[in-house]
Amino acid sequence: MIDYSALLYDPIYDVLGVPATLTVGATEVALTVVDDLKPKVEASGGLQTRGVEPGAFARMPELSALGVAINDCIGAVLAFNGRSWTVRNFDLRGNPNGEDAGEVRFLLKEAAVG
Amino acid sequence: MVDVREDILARLLEVVAAIPNLRSSHRSNVDINETQLPAVVVLDGDEETNDSTDLSMRPANRPTIVQLTPGIMIVDQGELVGSALSVLRSELIKRVLTDTELNEQIVKTGRFGNGAIRYLGCQTDLGWARELHGALAMQFLFKYALRPEQL
Repeated sequence: MIDYSALLYDPIYDVLGVPATLTVGATEVALTVVDDLKPKVEASGGLQTRGVEPGAFARMPELSALGVAINDCIGAVLAFNGRSWTVRNFDLRGNPNGEDAGEVRFLLKEAAVG
Repeated sequence: MVDVREDILARLLEVVAAIPNLRSSHRSNVDINETQLPAVVVLDGDEETNDSTDLSMRPANRPTIVQLTPGIMIVDQGELVGSALSVLRSELIKRVLTDTELNEQIVKTGRFGNGAIRYLGCQTDLGWARELHGALAMQFLFKYALRPEQL
């Protein structure tokens, strides 16, 4: 079986990852994330509003090693690339090594707004 | 030349653009950016008459009654977008239904003529972008006399 963390994620995060801090309650941990901000178009009644959908990838094994439970991350503050975001939800991206060895994509919102 | 339809739509834009705390207002622009929010967009509306049931000898160029139903979109985003849209909705309804120029000079409601302005309703639409995104689609009805010889 291919070790996805060693052969896929780790090399990618070494190149594309950026340092981040995740604050869950009173606990702050340092980790590496991949910025995944995407364009987003909201369509309503024939009207399009162009904006962005902020997101960031992190590795589940790294979160586990830091003692962070993914279920506690909603409402946490994730700071990277000079901005702070609030985690409003997340998508788990498992791989053949299992859910706990995969990635999580944090769905973010502007931290300043709440 | 008097084009009541255009006068209504042009005045509608002026009325909604005067709502406090808007960042932008548009006429028929259906592609806006989050940096322009909160925004109001006046969309050119459909028109209807009852003339398909009037096949009398009435000359074609005689006045007829038209019902114009323009849509107005209010768009905003933020944690409290629901209450923000409610505030804008209230302002918009109040200003459209009480605007003196729309009522007395363009549509000619009440004692000024046989026109009418009605608020028909609204629909909401929510989603997530950078923040919670909300849109409110509002419909109004403007009944006015179309006078072909004045066009």
